Amino acid sequence: MDELKLLREMRNDIPIVKDSVIDSGRHQLLHRIAPGGVKKSKRRPRKALRITLMTTATLGLVTALVGGNVIGLAGWRGAASAEAAEVLNNAASMSIKTVDPVVGPGQYLKIDSTNLWMSTYGVQDASGSVGSNTTVEWLDTEKMSFYVPADRDQEWVWDRSGRVPTTFFSAQAKETALEQAKDIGDTSEHLRAANGAFYGSPSTFPTEKELAGYSRDPRMLLNGIYLKTLGAGQSLDGEALVWIADLLRTGLVPADLRAALYQAAALIPGVSVTDNQATLDGQSGVAIGRVEGASNIRQDVIIDPATGQLIGERQVALEAMGSVPAGATIGWTTIRTTVVNSLP
Amino acid sequence: MTTDADIIRRSRESPQAFTELYDKYARMIHRYAARRAGESAAEDVMAETFLVAFERRDSFDQARNDARPWLFGIATNLLRKHHRTEAKMLKVLAKSSGRDSYADSTDRIAERLDAAVAASAMAGALRALSAADRECILLFAWAELSYEGIAEATKVPIGTVRSRLNRARRILKDAAGPFRNDTEEAEHGRAQATA
Repeated sequence: MDELKLLREMRNDIPIVKDSVIDSGRHQLLHRIAPGGVKKSKRRPRKALRITLMTTATLGLVTALVGGNVIGLAGWRGAASAEAAEVLNNAASMSIKTVDPVVGPGQYLKIDSTNLWMSTYGVQDASGSVGSNTTVEWLDTEKMSFYVPADRDQEWVWDRSGRVPTTFFSAQAKETALEQAKDIGDTSEHLRAANGAFYGSPSTFPTEKELAGYSRDPRMLLNGIYLKTLGAGQSLDGEALVWIADLLRTGLVPADLRAALYQAAALIPGVSVTDNQATLDGQSGVAIGRVEGASNIRQDVIIDPATGQLIGERQVALEAMGSVPAGATIGWTTIRTTVVNSLP
Repeated sequence: MTTDADIIRRSRESPQAFTELYDKYARMIHRYAARRAGESAAEDVMAETFLVAFERRDSFDQARNDARPWLFGIATNLLRKHHRTEAKMLKVLAKSSGRDSYADSTDRIAERLDAAVAASAMAGALRALSAADRECILLFAWAELSYEGIAEATKVPIGTVRSRLNRARRILKDAAGPFRNDTEEAEHGRAQATA
């Protein structure tokens, strides 16, 4: 048997594509051909929910800011609620007192995280007619461990459990999720890469230089964040909080910058205490968050008020989305950092 | 007989005609994309391929009657967005024999001669190929395009297609060694083709 025959036989057992899939593609094409002519078909988000659209209001504001060369955005448009500011500022002063674990030569900072992400999948509803697609939603859990060497140029390790469906918002979601998981198979990975350049791409982790470069003055830091995120997300303030949550959850943020980030969050309009007793992965803390008006999704940052440590962050849907009931958490990450002496 | 060029020409006047091209080739594109990056990616790639094709229908070379190279070319581009899924899938396949790849003792592999192991060896070899070589050999073996078709799809001269295919086949041949009937070849030590 020659190599071409072997290759032709490889993955030859792909199931025949479902008619619903063909219909959906045809529908999208018809919509493109005559945008007004067919019922608008919603393009289904497949991966974790990503919000990329800006509201008209934000666009207007952004245009005005860029046009008017306004740079100092922080402060004059209001700030977090007094209660949230108090929690954040207290957490900041606790953080300042915290001594971050020292990663000595030859040691590694180990960042363990548990991540829950939402998957949305389009399925045909019971009527089976063309264009009658509905969506099912579930949460996948992925546990990850990063080993970051003291000398960042050395080899890093990233252990990924792969995405495992764990929370289902309907029976149909469970069925779809398990079927998909079976199709995809084990996606766990053990990755090694010098300088954190996993998958052959430059590291997406903030470098020490980058972290050192951020202002520790909350107002200047927040201004910098606004400029960085200008035009992204659904709103200026929402995106700034998301940016802060994203940076905090890398687990690489030193105590003084963590403190400044908390204080910067206290300056973001619309930020308030959303849950005094928030429990994430068994750890309790205070949730500070902001509701995104356009999507009705709330971004929370959860902090241990006693130590100022970040417990994690989460997104909560405030209205029903497909099979997701109002009030459901649609994604969260918790992190824990330790210092270890060797790679696995 | 209506050729693809006819359909595309008509679609300039009456865009709805473009759906004929979809009806003719959507399943073919889906299957190819699913083999490369799984069904979930295939769904997107299939739909997107025809959206892109529709937008660019003026760029279709009317001298060509067959739209397949053009469509597979678009699909190939879109599949690059799914390279991680593809890489992951190949990795899983390559591992599925319980061993990393074909870079093991020929005797032991020969003992476990079965389709799964062969697929795993092929997946290991595909992983070792450069992205361009992999695209080229898969357009040949899975999309069943001719050399000319691949040249058109990937917008490279036919000489480049030839050398890419040769290189890819050599690596695959090394990996296939133990499964080929030509035992003399199989016994021979070969340079490992891993990247």
